[in-house]
Amino acid sequence: MKNIKMTIACILLAFATFAQKTSSKTEQDFYEIKTLPIPKEIYLEVGGLATMPDGRLAVSTRRGEIWIIENPYQTANHQVHYKRFASGMHEVLGLAYRDGAFYCSQRGELTKITDTDRDGVADLYEPIYQFELSGNYHEYTYGPVFDKNGDMLVTLNLAWVGFGEGKFAKWRGWLVKIHPDGTMEPFAAGLRSPAGYSINQDGDIFYGENQGDWVGSGRVTHLAKGDFAGNPGGLKWAKEPNSPFRLTLEEIQDNGAPMYEAAAKVKNLKLPAVWFPHAIMGISTSDVLQDTTRGKFSPFPGQYFVADQGQSKIMRMGLEKVNGVYQGFCINYREGFQSGILRERFGLDGSMFVGMTSRGWGSTGKDEFGLQRLMWNGQMPFEIQDIQAKPDGFELSFTQAVDVNSVKKAASYALRSYIYKYQHQYGSPIIELKDLKISGVEVSGDKRKVRLVIDGLRQYFIHEFKLEGIRNEAGEPLLHETAYFTLNQIPSGGKLAVQATHRLEEAVVVKAVPAVKPMKKSTVISDAEAMALLKKHTCLACHAKESKVVGPSYADIAKRNYTDKQILALVYKPNPQNWPDYATEMAPMSHVPAADVLKIASWINGLRNKALLNHD
Amino acid sequence: MRNILLLTLLSWTCLAQQQVNLTNLAAFQHPSNNWTIEGAVQSAYSDTTLQVATGQGILVNTLRNGKYKRSDDLTFAFSHGDIHLMFDFMLPKKGNSGVYLQGRYEVQLADSWTKKQLNFGDCGGIYERWDDARGKGKEGYEGYAPMQNASKAPGLWQHMEIDFQAPRFDANGKKIQNAVFKKVILNGILIHENLEMLGVTRGAVSLQEVASAPILVQGDHTQVAIKNIQYETYDKPSVKMGSIKYDYYTGKFTEPIIGAAKPIESGKLDKLTYKVIKAKNDYLIHYQADLDVPETDTYEFQSYWTGSGVVKVDGKELNQGAHWYSEMVSSKTELTAGKHKLEVIHVKDFPWGPQALGLYVKRIGSHPVALHERTSLLDPEAVGMIEVKANAEPVFQRSFAMHQGKKKTHVIHVGDPSGMHYSYDLKQGAMLQVWRGPFLNATQMWENRGEPQTSEPLGVTVTLDGKFPLVMDHQAQADSTELVYKGFRLKDGRPIFMYHWPAGNVMVEDFIRPNAAKTGLERTLSFKSATAMQSASELVLGNSYHGISSVNATLIGLQGQSYFVQWDGRQGAVLNPKQGLKQQRIPVQGNEVSYQLIW
Repeated sequence: MKNIKMTIACILLAFATFAQKTSSKTEQDFYEIKTLPIPKEIYLEVGGLATMPDGRLAVSTRRGEIWIIENPYQTANHQVHYKRFASGMHEVLGLAYRDGAFYCSQRGELTKITDTDRDGVADLYEPIYQFELSGNYHEYTYGPVFDKNGDMLVTLNLAWVGFGEGKFAKWRGWLVKIHPDGTMEPFAAGLRSPAGYSINQDGDIFYGENQGDWVGSGRVTHLAKGDFAGNPGGLKWAKEPNSPFRLTLEEIQDNGAPMYEAAAKVKNLKLPAVWFPHAIMGISTSDVLQDTTRGKFSPFPGQYFVADQGQSKIMRMGLEKVNGVYQGFCINYREGFQSGILRERFGLDGSMFVGMTSRGWGSTGKDEFGLQRLMWNGQMPFEIQDIQAKPDGFELSFTQAVDVNSVKKAASYALRSYIYKYQHQYGSPIIELKDLKISGVEVSGDKRKVRLVIDGLRQYFIHEFKLEGIRNEAGEPLLHETAYFTLNQIPSGGKLAVQATHRLEEAVVVKAVPAVKPMKKSTVISDAEAMALLKKHTCLACHAKESKVVGPSYADIAKRNYTDKQILALVYKPNPQNWPDYATEMAPMSHVPAADVLKIASWINGLRNKALLNHD
Repeated sequence: MRNILLLTLLSWTCLAQQQVNLTNLAAFQHPSNNWTIEGAVQSAYSDTTLQVATGQGILVNTLRNGKYKRSDDLTFAFSHGDIHLMFDFMLPKKGNSGVYLQGRYEVQLADSWTKKQLNFGDCGGIYERWDDARGKGKEGYEGYAPMQNASKAPGLWQHMEIDFQAPRFDANGKKIQNAVFKKVILNGILIHENLEMLGVTRGAVSLQEVASAPILVQGDHTQVAIKNIQYETYDKPSVKMGSIKYDYYTGKFTEPIIGAAKPIESGKLDKLTYKVIKAKNDYLIHYQADLDVPETDTYEFQSYWTGSGVVKVDGKELNQGAHWYSEMVSSKTELTAGKHKLEVIHVKDFPWGPQALGLYVKRIGSHPVALHERTSLLDPEAVGMIEVKANAEPVFQRSFAMHQGKKKTHVIHVGDPSGMHYSYDLKQGAMLQVWRGPFLNATQMWENRGEPQTSEPLGVTVTLDGKFPLVMDHQAQADSTELVYKGFRLKDGRPIFMYHWPAGNVMVEDFIRPNAAKTGLERTLSFKSATAMQSASELVLGNSYHGISSVNATLIGLQGQSYFVQWDGRQGAVLNPKQGLKQQRIPVQGNEVSYQLIW
């Protein structure tokens, strides 16, 4: 019976997919997700992953264990084999394997773990370094990541007391370097919730930050020694003699102006390399990993893959260096993972192991934890390959030749730029939003590159590219049409002399004929219309109609009896205290037009009436 | 908000109670010669007799009349119905006694130390019932084993807490409600909860159940010692509430102050309830009632609400402030007999959180009186336990842990299939606590985000001093040491902790494991140093605020005889580092020293 039901469900699903996506391809046509089965009695709440050179995979968990998995690549057999190697540690949120030993972070300790008698179970647990803790649960410890000298990088989360606070225990809010002899070198500060970080091929450190206090949106920041990444919670320790810099809270402006303004006054305040707009490009940035597989993992060698815990997805980030400063773009890559992603590590075959946990944090992926593998099947998708800043705009490259007609149409593009506030309040609305006009387009001879000349570039701003109308020569749209470029530096050099041939074809504007039929007053939009709006404004990233995702369901919101206007006010200025049972605070969505929010609000309130009717 | 569970689990408050006078035997009816009053009792865990020293304060059955004469049972002078009873007791090895509530329902006192399989006859068991008419071999029936073995070793003081509800009878003397053991707690472990007695247990003074009768202690089996007998009975009258009216206001009230607001609704009620409130938030409700106080006494007001509120009696503000509904707010006030004015004002100016309002009045000597409708106060949220088991092999688990009121952050708990476990502060090289029973409750660490990040013992726990036990010759024991933690290695699955001890300039290994007899934990500290020690060191066997009782040459009882320390008997010294504190030390000779903790 069960099987039959399943089959019917599958057929229905297939129909639905068919109906909507007759022509366009989806992520799964290129980027495949494989699931590693987990025995039912194991709580594999993944905190750390380490690929071993012998083909095994090690996984550390929030319940303090290290599991070693044989056959993780599932070659010729879907089953994988778990052996518990170590246990009893305190929330192990990072794992590395080096020279036959494991290194991992517990809350209060960087630990080396060895199996001295080689019976497959660890028998020696040695502290490399002990971290101070106040006893606040939010003082998470992540790492280590080894650098090329064999030093270990560890990041230390702030405590949470209604805001991020680092003063209770030494070096909270910092990235520190632990030398193999157990000495500690404070390296960079200003971190809030630095769950994921790594070192790129050039030896530079990048970390992912979660939106929160002093962090308007998720972001990836390059950390050099002495950098201050923005959250002042840990600045107490900048007074210590071994701090690489001096800075006090009083020197930091808290007036809601963008971060770059504050950075003009505080010389080591480091701006993000790439902003990840909140709710669109994730809600809780975690791991950052550069594709070093030379084309095995993805069609984008050298680019970065940034995971998101809350939205259970992996995004792509491309970087360039202008005037010695990193900047670049982010774009969606693959969604639909089973739980909240905390870790990414490459396997020996160039696939990526994706380790997940959502307990207490929530995620779009419904499982409490999970372990999956992401691989590229070698088919070339039509994607934005790269975006580079130019003195007068940007140059976009594509994985396939573009249809020149589509590139020449103004209607193919929607561009705008904006930024976030830098403030002690949690999150930020989008501010200083401005639509951008393309004044010229030039297509390269191989039709793989498109140069856009844009009026009103703004340094430090997020430049949003929506390329809905761009097609490849087969007439297919982009797999992902929206990218976000953070323009820290505008390069100098030659500008494109815009000529008539570069101008875009404007669409003929047809004046709307006034409707003859009078509109019915206070019409509630249909479910389909509501879903379209909710999708457009990325509400569905966190909310669903009936079920709890990251935030409450619309049905639950309806039960609160808010007026439409109250909903509008709360969308623009959320009050997280209204929903104390939800781990992730909602970001202000004041960039969504009020008319749209009110339509959504009346639809939400309509759900309540429906529910009442049903129950009557 | 997820921490509610622990806060409310054992919130059974112990108010000041009656204490049974044990300066003499006047509190008992015709005590036989088996019973005496003594000043001190001790026994080795392997002895079948108690050693006594003259004095006052301890009720002892010396068994000098011999065994198996019911006339040696000890009957209390006072009779009781519902009762909350607490006492300490000590048994010798193979000890066997029991406490009969109303002389009819027996909670067994017995030496069940280290037993794995328990029945009704084990310590804390509710003894079986007996009926000869059931036929030979089938006379015994019902009876309840404790939910877990919560016994301590013979020769140690154990603590029993019983909340008993007497049977109820109608006007014709017909029983309408069975007797209930509402809670039985042995050595801090809940072993029974809400067990109904379908009739009297074996050995009851009578098969006839009654509303009131005295406690009886079994006195004809073995020696037993009892002290600190405290109880509360519930026969005094308490308050009654009458003519309740309410006024309901809407609007933004951040404080329970009415000001110039006008009520939008008023009415009368039988009991307090939030259910007359229509809104989810932004309201004020004002209840006014008469409170009939039967006798002049101290009355405690216990309130619960989500939001803010105030309780006033005759205009005097008692409980107030902003709270979550699972938090009890309490204040006591003296009230004269007669009518008083009770006022409750409650506001809630935020939409989240469950609505709830509850108010109890508690007078010592009577049950709490609920002034609210039952449905007006929600049950607290309960979360299923996440247990770490140590049934098959030794296990260890790090977490935060509370110790003497402080949160320690670098703690490891080590569990053993023998059922003897300990918590250890890795920073201090110090044992924090030992326990026997199931291993660890990790719910507060692994449920949701695990905000407390603590875990707790699941068995009978002895709290230790939490200090590194080695001192250099004649030096004071430091509160915290300069010890350098070097990790641990595993031997047969059990950790051996490694330290550099700067004071002695040696590497120290600390190995704790079950002793050979599985009666306790043996701790061995050994020096791993190429060079000999610069000077001699000493081992602190224990610190005790309630004297050290020297049971024999190798055994002492510490902290009011709540646990034993045993060693090889080498001559040591008892120091008095500060007022009221005794410290037992022994010299370290050679590269190794051991001692055992037995409880």
